[in-house]
Amino acid sequence: MKIRIEKASCAGNARCAAVSEELFPLNEDGYIAVDKVDVPEGKEQLARRGARACPERIIFIEEE
Amino acid sequence: MSATMSPAVPKPDHVADAAVYDFDMFADPAYVADPHKRILDLVKNAPPVFWTPRNGGHWMIMSHEANFAAARDIETFSSNFIPKERLAAMQAQMPRHLPMPLPINVDPPDHTKYRAPLQKVFSPKTINGLKDSIRELAGQLIDKIKADGKCDFMTSVAEPLPVVVFLKMLGLPLERMEEYREIVSQHLSDPTPNPIDSIKKLWRIVDSIKDTLEERRVNPQDDIISMLWKTEIDGQPMTMADMENYSVVLFIAGLDTVMNGIGHGVRYLATDLPLQDRLRQNPELVGEASEEMLRRFTFTVPPRIIGKDAVFNGLEMKKGERAMLFLPAADLDAKAFANPDTYNLDRENKTHIAFNAGVHRCLGSHLARVELQVCYEEMLARLPRFRLDPANPPTFHCGHVVGVSSLHLVWDT
Repeated sequence: MKIRIEKASCAGNARCAAVSEELFPLNEDGYIAVDKVDVPEGKEQLARRGARACPERIIFIEEE
Repeated sequence: MSATMSPAVPKPDHVADAAVYDFDMFADPAYVADPHKRILDLVKNAPPVFWTPRNGGHWMIMSHEANFAAARDIETFSSNFIPKERLAAMQAQMPRHLPMPLPINVDPPDHTKYRAPLQKVFSPKTINGLKDSIRELAGQLIDKIKADGKCDFMTSVAEPLPVVVFLKMLGLPLERMEEYREIVSQHLSDPTPNPIDSIKKLWRIVDSIKDTLEERRVNPQDDIISMLWKTEIDGQPMTMADMENYSVVLFIAGLDTVMNGIGHGVRYLATDLPLQDRLRQNPELVGEASEEMLRRFTFTVPPRIIGKDAVFNGLEMKKGERAMLFLPAADLDAKAFANPDTYNLDRENKTHIAFNAGVHRCLGSHLARVELQVCYEEMLARLPRFRLDPANPPTFHCGHVVGVSSLHLVWDT
């Protein structure tokens, strides 16, 4: 599974990281540090939950 | 709290009759009696975006989609209430620095510049480091009232907890808490946008903390004021004027918001004993429970000024008009949340916008979340089933913060 994040639109809610800090690493200010995530096998459900938790709706599942 | 409705002003010609709905966001009697009940009624019966003739006449952004769009469209829904040129002209007439609640009332690029020094202090990482001390403080406050079997939750827990945390973070003397609270509640309770009175109130805030600002400049401690003195804004060293601006915004935002969020949450908990039981048995669910509390009882109403003539949601809006991002209604919108009036811990989608969306997302949201969750956890862990006192129903106040004024609880001892 691959995830795309519109990093520039991140508002620093950090809800994705509240679901999984490992999948959604934050920078020092608490904003998303990456714009792509290769989701390790077995973490797909967590990735989906993290994407859904974003109030800015900027986390997209690109490939199932 | 009793309140008088403001007079209705005539509708401007460009506002269609169908877009008008009469609602006083400070004094509507049903709203002040039980705010979120009235909001549910508005969500059902008022247009998704409407113009109210009360409080000088302004737009109300109600639906989730409209709020989401408006929060992002900062050119139309600007936070720049006073243009830079006018501000400079006003400043030139003033005997002293005119403090501005930055970065709340500016748009990017200035917003980005003034917000930057604050980001790290309020980041999830920094805030998580405060969690244990917040828990200790919450525990102490609750233990103090435990044997009484009753309390006014607002004065005994909801108010002191976030205020003490915030004053400690800022490095302000705790013994002056009452004075600070009084200044802030006065600041937020005035519905009339009279610029001179507003400025005087900002000066009052500055006057109450200026000695601490000056002291920390020469004697830095481990607090936000000292840290900000060491920061630069856009490559320039911090000035006393910058510090006054930050103090005003942190003061206003830190002292009167979280306490009301906790009040709404604990009020709901007191009415839902099965939920209390479930959370006592499964404390790991309190984080989720707290999110659903924020959704069900969203309580802030950020104001905006229309930055350019625009058509929004099919309605003509003119530059200079005021609009309210009525976030409590957005999070009770049935299009975004099925059965929005039901508090549902198992709801799959709890992605609310209680902290707003876009660049002005609440800087203190991570702190607020920790305080809310820890407070619920400690209430549930330290007290048996608590209920509303039937003889003293809760009271509320309404405005840019929809707040709980008193919340009398009872429990068995």
